[in-house]
Amino acid sequence: MTIAPSATGVASAQARSRRVRRWLASHWNLNLLLGAISIGTLFLLWEFARPLGIPAISNLPPPTEVIQTSASLLTSQLYWEGWALSLRRITSGFLLAQIVGIPLGLMMAMHRASFDTIFPIVEILRPIPPVAWIPVSIVFWPTRELSVIFIVFLGAFWIVLLNTIGGASNIDPNYKRAALSLGSTPGDLFWRIIFPATVPSIVTGMAVGMGIAWEMVVAAEMVAGRTGLGYLLWQSFEINAIAQCIVCMISIGIAGYLSSEIIRLFGSFVAPWQRQR
Amino acid sequence: MAQLIVPTPAIVTIEPGAKVPLILRARRLVRSSRPYLMLLGVSGFFLAWYLLVDNLKLWRFRELPGFIASIREWVNPDPLYGVSLFTAEYYSHIWASVYRVVCAFVLATILGVAVGILMGWRRIFYGLTFPILELLRPIPILAWIPLAILLLPGRELPIIGLTFLAAFFVTILNTLLGVKSIDQVYFRAARSLGFSELAILRHVILPGALPYVFVGLQIAMGACWFSLVASEIVSGQAGLGYKVWETYYYVQFETMVIIMATLGFLGYLSSALVRFVGNRLMRWRSRILAGV
Amino acid sequence: MAVEAARGGALSIRHAGKVYDPDGANVVAIDDVSFDTRPGEFCVVVGPSGCGKTTLLNTIAGFDELTVGEIFLDDELLTTPGKRLMPGADRMVVFQNGALFPWKTVLWNVTCGPIQQGKMNRGEAQVQARELLSRVGLRGIENQYPGELSGGMKRRVEIVRALMNDPKVLLLDEPFRALDALTKSVVQEYLLELYDASPKTVFFITHDVEEAVFLADKIVIMTTRPGRVLKIVDVDIDRPRDYHVLTSGHFLKLENDVRAAIHGEARKAFEAGERELA
Repeated sequence: MTIAPSATGVASAQARSRRVRRWLASHWNLNLLLGAISIGTLFLLWEFARPLGIPAISNLPPPTEVIQTSASLLTSQLYWEGWALSLRRITSGFLLAQIVGIPLGLMMAMHRASFDTIFPIVEILRPIPPVAWIPVSIVFWPTRELSVIFIVFLGAFWIVLLNTIGGASNIDPNYKRAALSLGSTPGDLFWRIIFPATVPSIVTGMAVGMGIAWEMVVAAEMVAGRTGLGYLLWQSFEINAIAQCIVCMISIGIAGYLSSEIIRLFGSFVAPWQRQR
Repeated sequence: MAQLIVPTPAIVTIEPGAKVPLILRARRLVRSSRPYLMLLGVSGFFLAWYLLVDNLKLWRFRELPGFIASIREWVNPDPLYGVSLFTAEYYSHIWASVYRVVCAFVLATILGVAVGILMGWRRIFYGLTFPILELLRPIPILAWIPLAILLLPGRELPIIGLTFLAAFFVTILNTLLGVKSIDQVYFRAARSLGFSELAILRHVILPGALPYVFVGLQIAMGACWFSLVASEIVSGQAGLGYKVWETYYYVQFETMVIIMATLGFLGYLSSALVRFVGNRLMRWRSRILAGV
Repeated sequence: MAVEAARGGALSIRHAGKVYDPDGANVVAIDDVSFDTRPGEFCVVVGPSGCGKTTLLNTIAGFDELTVGEIFLDDELLTTPGKRLMPGADRMVVFQNGALFPWKTVLWNVTCGPIQQGKMNRGEAQVQARELLSRVGLRGIENQYPGELSGGMKRRVEIVRALMNDPKVLLLDEPFRALDALTKSVVQEYLLELYDASPKTVFFITHDVEEAVFLADKIVIMTTRPGRVLKIVDVDIDRPRDYHVLTSGHFLKLENDVRAAIHGEARKAFEAGERELA
């Protein structure tokens, strides 16, 4: 048997160390600390790459220069025009993909015949990278604007379609049975059971599709566009204004991140039952 | 196990869990309406192409390359624009692209899975690497092209590097998800059984994460082809992406169709290959008794 | 007595208490639980949802820590607040929802413990594994994967896996909960056969009163949250037991005693809206 040490002494020491450990162990704080360390280190390495003689990164302008450039860029009209144009293309292409993809996906999931007919073509066309469609798009569409929007549409469309079909096909049949035994009409069944049950998958498809949409817009603008953030990025590169280039990169990254977050917020608003306790 | 005692050979008793013999599956397939609808869909597409472009030449469609013309070019031993099934140039472009994808994909798989597992295994490693990942990930891969050209020497490396980057992010994320998806109870059981940390890595973490890893690898393969084509268009000298642009530039549209179809085919083949390897490695998944 | 001491596995729980503190809401899982088990005794803990039985099991197994009290195994201090206990093969667990590695064959699952600990080489382990498996009525399934087995088969494999490690205490966390009644009685009989052949200390958790009386030497009845020991009932039915025992007068009287004690607690738990955690 062990001799118990003073109960209160042990208890308070334990309580203190537990509090410290809990503070550190709480996800927030430890991760914050580690994140600050790693990002800070990278930042410093980048900043002092030239004097330190680090091989490749010394070719890049250091962060301070990038920040200076961003100050001037943020006040230029060209930059904000680029934002507006890219955003407009993204929204058009993305919305179009949803408008065409969601109904098509729902139909394919509910009618076996339509699925069997349409799916093989989807599987044939889908592996062709949307970027490879750019020349076809330029040739076919009368304006550059439409060709860029088409590429954005294409990229997002496959994702929306696949996610919608997947979501609608995986509904627990017991839900449908319960509804039918409670007396639902086919319309009820669709609007109150099938559609809401598919919404989480649709939202996932939207979030992923938004990320893809940004990839596409950048690709299309770099190759075929004459305006927009992607085009600006490439132009900066061509005139060797690398700091500006980097600012464009970061801007596009921020834009992509923000749009995905908006979609996610929209998703939790539209499907609140997905939120976990 | 239900026994249907019927004299005709058409109905066979099947033990639950046994693999349905191929001949039965084939017979079932042919009897259903599925293959005919599939054929209808595919041929409908090509028919529409032919009608709109070759035949009726409707509106903007007349600018597009014709269906028949493209096929003819493809199987022509002496093609108009120098690229067909019979020319060496076709295969040199294919090889250039495939070589880059393979290099990038293999590298991304090895590094991506390693980093992903480390991130799932050790909290400190995760804390250090996750913020960097989240900062860099939203930047579209193609926005890295200028930096890739600046940082990496030569012509090949930037293209492979970009292709690698696309696959790398996807693989890390999915591997991490895979590790996180492993039920805690398996770790407890392993610890009770006296597994060393390394044994847990080898016998619990790796096999447990594998399903998610392979889903990620399929996505990564798609991402590889996407970045490859884009970077080849922008800065390549050979390869299918480069060729697509060249055919546009020199108005060789039939060849363009050939290259696009080739890209689609290779993309599909590579994903199927990844899926196949995955199924081999995870044989335990397919053998699940239904409904017990 | 000497033989019993040599077998080992005497659990001694003294004033064990566990408080969960998620966001400051003091949830007392168990409070001042004390009881002993003799070496080789089959001890069953019964109680309604939320009585902390799984918490107790987790503490003995090494997955959780006590906030107050001590647990001794064979007079050696196993765990106490501040002493981090590691899980080990001397206290093997059979989990409620099964923890057979789905990506390994049955044979690998069963033999991995002794092999990883270096106690046996593969040949010896496989021989013993096959022997144990046949004793629970599973022959020829060594190369199948858990996904191919039925629920009853999986439970038996997991019990064999635990026993292969020759633990001092065998811990079972409501292992037969998911089985249908018929399979359950068959698997219970197999468990008792193994137990009779080489008695080990067993710490078995269940909701099922009939199961408890059928299997146990000693039943510990716990209250609903905060879990305390309500009553300890000694089951003095002779071994070996088979299903005929279930209708004997003595059995029914014991079952009645336990049910009477526990019924009030079960109602309390239900009204408190206890979710099925423990």
